[in-house]
Amino acid sequence: MSELFTCDDKAQLVAYLYDEIDLLTRQRVDEHLRVCPACAREVAELTGVRQELATWLPPDADLGFTVVPAAERAVAPAVLRPARWWQAQALPPWAQAAAAVLVFAAGLSIANVQIRYGAEGVVVTTGWMTPASQAPARAAEATVTPASGPAAADADWRPALAALESTLRQEIAAQRPALAAAEEADAASPRATGLTTARVADLIAESERRQRQELALRLTQFGRDLEVQRRTDLVRINQGFGQFEGRAGAEIARQRQMLDYIMRVSAPPPQ
Amino acid sequence: MEREKPGVLPQMTWTDEELVARSVAGDQDSFNQLIVRWERPIYALAYRVLGRDEDARDVCQETFLRAFRALPGFKGQAKFSSWLYRIALNLCRDWIRRQKRTPVVSAPEGIDIIEMAAEQGPVESIEDLVARKQLSATVAEAMEKLPDEQRTAIILKEFHGLTFQEIADLQNCPLSTVKTRLYQGLSVLRRDLQAQGMMSTRPAGKAS
Repeated sequence: MSELFTCDDKAQLVAYLYDEIDLLTRQRVDEHLRVCPACAREVAELTGVRQELATWLPPDADLGFTVVPAAERAVAPAVLRPARWWQAQALPPWAQAAAAVLVFAAGLSIANVQIRYGAEGVVVTTGWMTPASQAPARAAEATVTPASGPAAADADWRPALAALESTLRQEIAAQRPALAAAEEADAASPRATGLTTARVADLIAESERRQRQELALRLTQFGRDLEVQRRTDLVRINQGFGQFEGRAGAEIARQRQMLDYIMRVSAPPPQ
Repeated sequence: MEREKPGVLPQMTWTDEELVARSVAGDQDSFNQLIVRWERPIYALAYRVLGRDEDARDVCQETFLRAFRALPGFKGQAKFSSWLYRIALNLCRDWIRRQKRTPVVSAPEGIDIIEMAAEQGPVESIEDLVARKQLSATVAEAMEKLPDEQRTAIILKEFHGLTFQEIADLQNCPLSTVKTRLYQGLSVLRRDLQAQGMMSTRPAGKAS
């Protein structure tokens, strides 16, 4: 050890800074700092750096590692991590199967897969396909259909409906004078009461007949709507089937990756 | 400087060496007490070396796992804590190598890393700088620029209170080299932090 501290003796300066120095050497460094402003400033600034370093704190992590006795595990003792429950221990097979089913069901719900069975066989639609209830209006303009298709079927019942409406209006107009005459006769003669009752019965019967006709008409219209919807669904299914196959494949691949991930993280930690 | 202190349980009166002896005899509870005592310092060491919470957790877990398995071979030739630090530092080194990550970006020759730091972006406001979190982040960024040996030496000295000789043993280098690494690292930090306006005084000159 030299007798005097010099400005170049950085090792002693560091020892002084961390107070890992004997008393005599410390006194020599103190004497030097009193007469050397450059070294005094350097020591002050390095002390400031140490104070800044004190602000560098690790996160307040929840650790809690522990060693599990061998009797509680099938393998050798290991340090586990309770805070990360999915790596704590291997899941039993039934739990893994349940998780797989849950993930598959979640995938189905996300994809909005709908399976229907009808006259055309099994029909599968997914969330990215237009719902069947919205299909007819756009299908008429977007698809090429045969002459007996939805457009033609939609056109031939409108004249029939208009003709029926016209007939009903004529009948009602024709019955109004007769009804007015019956009211006058009823007021004039008590004998006319029986005639009025009979006439009311006739009117009720006529009304029921018209209602039955309207019901039949509505049923016919509903049936044709169903036919239009069915044909439109068929067209859209045919068009979208190729697209569905591609996306379904991607969906299956994604779910398979998710299952692989679950199996991987459920595996016991490496020993 | 607030150092990473080992955790203490109220009823714990055993020394590390006594707990090691009981653990070697088959008492796993004793080893769990050692974990409680040292998991925080080991995690803090790994976090400051690796810079990532998740990596630090993994290294911490692996450190105790290896220590548990190697415990029968631990003959007390060093302090138990130093033995743990050595395992953790080796794991950190292997971790960096395996992940092919380089937490330290060494500056090419002829490039002043202080000037590079000053050109990184606009200087934050005083309000931001006085926030403790921001200070911590700035110090962490400055530490990341240091060479690995200097950074590890500063971490072991500043946050874990190891002696020069203990650091020299862990880094397998002479004691004088440890002092040199500490001085060079602190000097670079001083210039870096001054360049970012975190210290009031300007450097007196070229420190190294």
